[in-house]
Amino acid sequence: MSSETQNAPKVHVAVDEIPLAQPFFILVTVCDDIAVSEVRVDAIMPAHQHGLNYAPKITALGDGVFRAENMLFHMPGLWELRVDANFGGQSISYTSDVVLK
Amino acid sequence: MKVLVTTAFVVLAGAVRAEVLLSDDEIQQTLSFGPWPISFQSDPSNRVSNDTRTIALGAALFNDPVLSVDGAFSCASCHDPEQAFTTSDARAFGRVLLDRNTPSLRNLAGLRWYGWGGKSDSLWAASLHPIIDEQEMGHSKESLKTAISESIYIDDFEAIFGEIQIQDPELVLVNTAKTLSAYLETLATGRTQFDDFRDALENQDLAAAANYPEAAQRGLQLFIGRGNCVLCHNGPRFSNNEFHDSGVPYFLSETEVDDGRFGGLNFLLSNAYTLDGNWSDDLEKQGAWVVRSVRRSHSDFGTFRTPSLRGVAETAPCMHDGSLIDLDAVIRHYSEIDTERLHADGEAILSELNLSEQEIADLAAFLESLSKVP
Repeated sequence: MSSETQNAPKVHVAVDEIPLAQPFFILVTVCDDIAVSEVRVDAIMPAHQHGLNYAPKITALGDGVFRAENMLFHMPGLWELRVDANFGGQSISYTSDVVLK
Repeated sequence: MKVLVTTAFVVLAGAVRAEVLLSDDEIQQTLSFGPWPISFQSDPSNRVSNDTRTIALGAALFNDPVLSVDGAFSCASCHDPEQAFTTSDARAFGRVLLDRNTPSLRNLAGLRWYGWGGKSDSLWAASLHPIIDEQEMGHSKESLKTAISESIYIDDFEAIFGEIQIQDPELVLVNTAKTLSAYLETLATGRTQFDDFRDALENQDLAAAANYPEAAQRGLQLFIGRGNCVLCHNGPRFSNNEFHDSGVPYFLSETEVDDGRFGGLNFLLSNAYTLDGNWSDDLEKQGAWVVRSVRRSHSDFGTFRTPSLRGVAETAPCMHDGSLIDLDAVIRHYSEIDTERLHADGEAILSELNLSEQEIADLAAFLESLSKVP
């Protein structure tokens, strides 16, 4: 994922095939050794001015890995996936584009 | 001679290919609308789901006025099996003129939301509310228990659920709703001309696919292309089962509005009959994540659940208030849509399509191919 914050710790997202209008989960991995206290996940469709209809449920799996469940993309098109990670009181935002057919 | 045969084959194959108008990308999108029918899975929140005896009892109750407090009408009075489980009335007439068009009851198994405003997250809950709604069947829990006890169905009911006299009236209500739900789960639309086309494409049988009318193919291209219909009407049911503002006015009168999803969520989150509640038979609460995590927004106001388009040619009039008399009117609505009627801060999806008469006819041909052949 990309971030506008300079020298931001690297964050990686893993996801299997995303089913249209059906729930799925993603795994968010903070690649650096730096401790992350909280991760928030959301997504929007910039062209349509709407986001997710359901709030993702985040579970810390340890070793900087977080599972976000109840993700649901209810329309095909370009989604902007957003992750906010909290590193010792500093929140850093990451984005990644996902095109769903 | 061998050369002549080969040449003839190439010409024939080329001619057949020319009748399938879709590009490779459009073919891939078309495959996402199937296969049909989809496989049935029992409802884990309903312990009598897919039970043969319960399904038969549910069918009998559905068609019997015993479920209305005064025996005035049955479920089938508004959801007429001879009219695709709806009627031709714009808005349903229960004890009063109701706010919305009667939805068809086919292909309901396994949905995430039920009703135009999504006030139920299970089919049994959606079956329960009309029984005790004062404007519809009008029963109380107590009167329903008495009616079932004194009906010809009592032996079947007790064979399935045990002695009724030791059941709390609310349990009788839930059991009755789950019985109706077991029956409703069995109602599905059959295969259509579109499904034959879609499966032929999947099997790369272009000769069979070419039997699908070119007008319907052009309509399909509009549906997944410039029309943007596929944004909401997607998947094998042609519905994402979520809620959108379609630009249809939500005023019921000069002083009343239909708040749609906004009111549906208020209702859902304030009643006990959800997949997260104690009346669900699923100990794992598999579907409860929906009611636990659904987000609320002021832009829910006046949005309505995307209806499935399977069998849509059989269920006019259309839209949540039945205000558009047929498919032609629906297509013209989206073609000429007044975007001023849309939520100012809602999703930005719809815009005037400005379809030609030929395009309107093509889109109608495609939508009609989603219904059974007369």
